[in-house]
Amino acid sequence: MRASVRVLARRALVNATRRLQFLAPLVVFPTLLLAINVGGLERTTTLPGFPHVDGFLDFQLAAAITQSLLLGGVGAGIAVALDIEGGFFDRLVASPAPRAAIVLARVLAAGVIAAVQVCYFLVLGLAFGAEIKGGLIGVVCVLAIGIVAGAGFGAIGVLIALRARSASVVQGIFPIVFVVLFVSSAFFPAELLSSPADVVAAYNPLSYIAEGMRQPIAFSNELAPVLEGLGAAAAVAGTAIGLSLLALRGRLRDA
Amino acid sequence: MCNSIHGIAAIEVIGLGREFKDGLKAVDGIDLEVAPGEVYGFLGPNGAGKTTTVRMLVTLLRPTGGHARVAGYDVERQPAQVRRRIGVALQEAALDPLMTGSELIELQATLHGITPRSVRARGAELIARVGLSQAADRRVGTYSGGMRRRLDLAMALIHDPEVLFLDEPTTGLDPTSRLTLWDEVRRLRDEGTTVFLTTQYLEEADQLADRLGIIAAGKLVAAGTPAALKAEIGRPHLDLVLANGSDLERARDVVARFGDQRPTTEGCHLSIEIALGAAGIAPILRALDDAGFAVAELELKQPTLDDVFLAKTGEHLEGAEEPMPAPELA
Amino acid sequence: MSRHVQMIAALVRRGLNEILRVPGGSLPGVLAPTIFMLGLSAVFGEASRLRSYGGVDFLTFICGVGMLQGAGFTGAATGVNLARDIEQGWFDRLLLSPTPRPVLLAGIVGSASLRALLPATFLLIVALALGVHWPGVLAMGLAAVLVMGLAAAAACYAIVLALRFRTQQAAPLMQVGSLAAVLLTTAYAPRELLSGWLRAIVDVNPVTHVLEGVRQGFVGDVTWATTWPALLAVAGLVTVFGALAVRGMSRQGQ
Repeated sequence: MRASVRVLARRALVNATRRLQFLAPLVVFPTLLLAINVGGLERTTTLPGFPHVDGFLDFQLAAAITQSLLLGGVGAGIAVALDIEGGFFDRLVASPAPRAAIVLARVLAAGVIAAVQVCYFLVLGLAFGAEIKGGLIGVVCVLAIGIVAGAGFGAIGVLIALRARSASVVQGIFPIVFVVLFVSSAFFPAELLSSPADVVAAYNPLSYIAEGMRQPIAFSNELAPVLEGLGAAAAVAGTAIGLSLLALRGRLRDA
Repeated sequence: MCNSIHGIAAIEVIGLGREFKDGLKAVDGIDLEVAPGEVYGFLGPNGAGKTTTVRMLVTLLRPTGGHARVAGYDVERQPAQVRRRIGVALQEAALDPLMTGSELIELQATLHGITPRSVRARGAELIARVGLSQAADRRVGTYSGGMRRRLDLAMALIHDPEVLFLDEPTTGLDPTSRLTLWDEVRRLRDEGTTVFLTTQYLEEADQLADRLGIIAAGKLVAAGTPAALKAEIGRPHLDLVLANGSDLERARDVVARFGDQRPTTEGCHLSIEIALGAAGIAPILRALDDAGFAVAELELKQPTLDDVFLAKTGEHLEGAEEPMPAPELA
Repeated sequence: MSRHVQMIAALVRRGLNEILRVPGGSLPGVLAPTIFMLGLSAVFGEASRLRSYGGVDFLTFICGVGMLQGAGFTGAATGVNLARDIEQGWFDRLLLSPTPRPVLLAGIVGSASLRALLPATFLLIVALALGVHWPGVLAMGLAAVLVMGLAAAAACYAIVLALRFRTQQAAPLMQVGSLAAVLLTTAYAPRELLSGWLRAIVDVNPVTHVLEGVRQGFVGDVTWATTWPALLAVAGLVTVFGALAVRGMSRQGQ
């Protein structure tokens, strides 16, 4: 099983580097939106109720990372859907490799790509004047949450691909990604969200994931938000991986 | 219906070449001429340069060397005039799956400047001609490969072109669809349309083409009528296997008077060149029978276009071994 | 001339099939601008408490952004569709016709302009239902012209990329270009609130004028002083990208 997961994950990563047109949106779109949000809404940090931060960039970095990770999940889903459409998926199923490896390999690859995405935004933030208050430990915390969350979003993408079987359908999910992100406290403090976004945000795991990563960047290494973020990411990942494996089993049974 | 240009070649090509940015010479100095109303077959293996040549002649690709005139107009300097006079069915029957057959025909007609009053009538006529009347109002996405190819042909004919380019029109078609398309090509020729047909199928070139050009690695290696090209290579041979224990040398003497050349032997095979083809078999068999020889097997071997290709290039034409359905001979 | 108009009409009709015959497929493009508008106002709505917004609520402030975003997405989708047509050989069929290349381009771009009205209309209905003030017929007419114009410019930009790269894999480039053009404006905040670098870009970005032209009716009165720069900007964008697209079409086959 381990060898199969390793080799399929390596294939997924090699393909990703050869299809930069799929990778680029993972960082380009969130970077553009980060720049515009920070450039346009810096003064919102003076609003009553906004937590004290050194700069709006420090606050927004976690949102950009979360957005990027979500887009990475869509990308993983598109890759699986293309494999299904192109027949490569059938080749894998017909091979002696354990079927679960097909899902786990994608999840592993998504986690690796997530690490790269997190590092990119941390370096970008540092380059433009952000400060990681939690230092090296803070970086590790952000990476941990990001990798687990990225793997989980990758599993969601795989789940959608296995159900939808078409790359264009997976791509059509793109706006929904933003819906889920908007009804969270990723971009703005929960206290300042309009209704009903504030209510939904309290139950939205993306809120905890984003706040878990934001804590060591903008504030300190306070354990509780970090653990909540890690827990939320793990819950998303665990649930999504389980559902993906079930979807795979259902698909193979129907074939 | 067709306006052929008397006295002017329908297609005239001098030194035509296309070199791509990476230095690849897909077409390397081709000369050819196609008379009005002729079916010209352009035969060659995959990657020989057939499609590149067609794309230059139909103004989709600029030549990097040489000149070409189609329907009397220069493909580089007068492309719009060329496009008005040609019909094209490319290798991929590129059709919009969201549109119906009728809608596509009407769109094509509009793009060729046919007046709205004439579009419907002309479209219906062509759809009926290619046997798609029942499917005309269905979306093309539901069509079979043969139906798509027929619609593609109808679209290429909507404006009554002087010259029709067909790029491997029967690749991927089932035998029945292939024969239907062959009949249509013959009908077009009878109506006076010039047809430039590229193919990798020997039988198709043999059956349809008045004259052929054989292309390999971007160069024209042979040109002429199918019969003339094959006659260049050799005449039909009768290959005999005699009953066990036969004296092959004596048999050779018996049949030496048939054919211009002395018969040859190889193993237990006796090979005799016969200019008359099948008509020359009976006298040979009678002579052998009179001399007391029993024939175990016989085969009449005719030179093929693959033999022509082999003689000119040292290689077999791809697809020469591909089975082709035995068509009804015209 | 009338034959050219017929050719353009035929190509526009074909372009509209993307909406009329694949309704599910075009839904994300129609819904996305409205989703962005609603999401952003839910997230950043409190920002309008800052004095520089002049008392205008955030949803009203970004309504015009959504309409232009729809125009940008539609333009990008036009380029992606052309790239698909190129990959599948359909574009060769258009090039083989005697239709002049600028006429072919006009047909493709014309369909984009018309299609852009769909996401804009949907967004407007939702915005009005949520309490955004009706800007008046003049303002809506102007907004429609500006939306269609920007869609045409975005389509020309995307077509240039499609003709250059000849593959759908260039889609992200088309999308990012359109998105950046619309968002690097006074999209989320008035000019006074913008950071220095963003203010510098906003001041030279012609789409800023287009956005202000669309927004003016929602936040106040339509004035000539705001209208003429918007019309000039959109005309300039269509001219520049249109010329590049025509050049790209004429260079096909080289």
